[in-house]
Amino acid sequence: MIHIQGLSKRFGKLLVLKDIDFQVREGECVAIIGPSGAGKSVFLRSIALLEVPERGSICIRETNITNKSVDINKVREKMGMVYQGFHLFSHLNVLDNITLAPRKVRKQSRIEAEQKARELLALVGLSEKAESYPHQISGGQQQRIAIARCLAMEPEIMLFDEPTSALDPTMTREVLAIMRKLTKMGLTMIIVTHEMSFAKEVANRVVYMDEGGIYEEGTPSEIFDHPRKEKTKAFIHQLNVFTYEIHSKGFDMVAMQAKIEVFCQKYQVDSRKIYHIQLVLEELLMVIFRKCYAETSPDMNLSIEFPADREEISISLHYAGQRFDPFQPDMQEEDQLGITIVKKITKESIHFADNGLNSILIKM
Amino acid sequence: MIDFIDSFFQSIYNNLIAGNAYLFVLKGLWITLLISALGSFFGTLFGGILCFLRMSAAKILRTTAHLVIAVLRGSPVLLLLMILYYVVFAGSRMDAVIIAVIAFALNSGAHIAEVMRSALEAVDKKQNEAARMLGFSATKAFLAITLPQAGKIAKPVYQNAIINLVQWTSVVGYVAITDLTRTVNTIGSRTGDPFFALFLGVLIYLGISYAVYSLFSIGNKQEVAK
Repeated sequence: MIHIQGLSKRFGKLLVLKDIDFQVREGECVAIIGPSGAGKSVFLRSIALLEVPERGSICIRETNITNKSVDINKVREKMGMVYQGFHLFSHLNVLDNITLAPRKVRKQSRIEAEQKARELLALVGLSEKAESYPHQISGGQQQRIAIARCLAMEPEIMLFDEPTSALDPTMTREVLAIMRKLTKMGLTMIIVTHEMSFAKEVANRVVYMDEGGIYEEGTPSEIFDHPRKEKTKAFIHQLNVFTYEIHSKGFDMVAMQAKIEVFCQKYQVDSRKIYHIQLVLEELLMVIFRKCYAETSPDMNLSIEFPADREEISISLHYAGQRFDPFQPDMQEEDQLGITIVKKITKESIHFADNGLNSILIKM
Repeated sequence: MIDFIDSFFQSIYNNLIAGNAYLFVLKGLWITLLISALGSFFGTLFGGILCFLRMSAAKILRTTAHLVIAVLRGSPVLLLLMILYYVVFAGSRMDAVIIAVIAFALNSGAHIAEVMRSALEAVDKKQNEAARMLGFSATKAFLAITLPQAGKIAKPVYQNAIINLVQWTSVVGYVAITDLTRTVNTIGSRTGDPFFALFLGVLIYLGISYAVYSLFSIGNKQEVAK
């Protein structure tokens, strides 16, 4: 259905897209993932010719839309684009947002367009918001309306440009639920996303973009569970492992704790467990600071990892300096309390030292 | 008290009734309204064109428009009027009122162009793109999405520009046009009671301003009702 060959795009001197070949079959759902700045959005926008490529051809069915003779407005009628920032028409209410294009572009009557719009509102679960204005509804609701607005034109291809990146977790779920419905309807979809679990679940194919091109592609399990190439591996690894380095006693503990919280929420860890992880780290760090780094600045790093089964969380903590085992029995009283807490809420905690490097491994 | 009321009616008689002076006032008012209305109309038209050029993709047009706007906005409208009247159209037999309309259209056009530009730039450009993605042509998307929103943003500032224009028309007396200001001034000096006549002038201008405001707010109410 979509057939792209040799696509290149340059912003000034920067080559953003390098000679990309890419195909999408009818009814396929492709997720595009990758680090920011990899050209994912530019690539997606090129498919609708919102970015004009420097070289290469983009064929939608049989038409090469990079041809000057092609009426791009007609091509876009059959494509829907959903943005990170929703971009509903702010001067129109929800119903008019949906009916505007069918009425003005496809010349449908108001009655016909409104009837279809109400069906779509029911589909996205927002029938009662028909008369509201965009600023009166939540981000998740706006995004669902934006999807309905696209569907009103009965598109063959839907493009999603990070549709949930501006939303909080609850609203993200609302929007993903609707997108899941669309895949079941057999729409051809290309989704640029940071929602890895969603990509894994709904996509037929996952494309990892890096270095201005398609770096690796495959089925969700090929990319997420068994990536073959180096950068893909690194990218997938950092999705599953949280790392943090500490080089001063005055480091920003609040920021670290917040990052840990965000990371854990991605894995649906409940808030009690997140609190426990934070507590364990805080207690350990304080004891280690006092014992090992009383006069020097700390040199430590920590990582939190979720294994595939997600049953147990493993935390590892490495710190350079004299040998110090916080779990030894003869601790002073002031430190004893913190360590008792740590022992109580972890399943397993061991310490070993090797070559001036202490390591603590914790499972919880 | 009775004396005051008495002299008040006396003033009305002297200034407005005697010698059918009210007819002169009405005539002056008509000229003021005429220059204001035509000035606003052509000013808006000219402003639209200037704004279009100012935002055009061609650098030469953009720079030219920028320059024209800067000069027109930076020079007093009275000087512009006098230059047009005594220099540019000095040889022609063009009616002074028409020259005044041109002067005010040029001056307010430059202001309005900038009002329009800032309003257009304030509109979320991605909404226009979203419309293009739904199959709208560039023109249709502009008319259906960008323009209505820009209009809403521009309205209060545009309204001020129009009221400013109305008040500045009071200088047309300098080029021998008998507008409202000049009429009340003449009446005041003839009756030797300038306070009453000039104050009356202020009241009438105030009335015009309120009329303009209410004209704009009619639009507002319809919007809410819709």
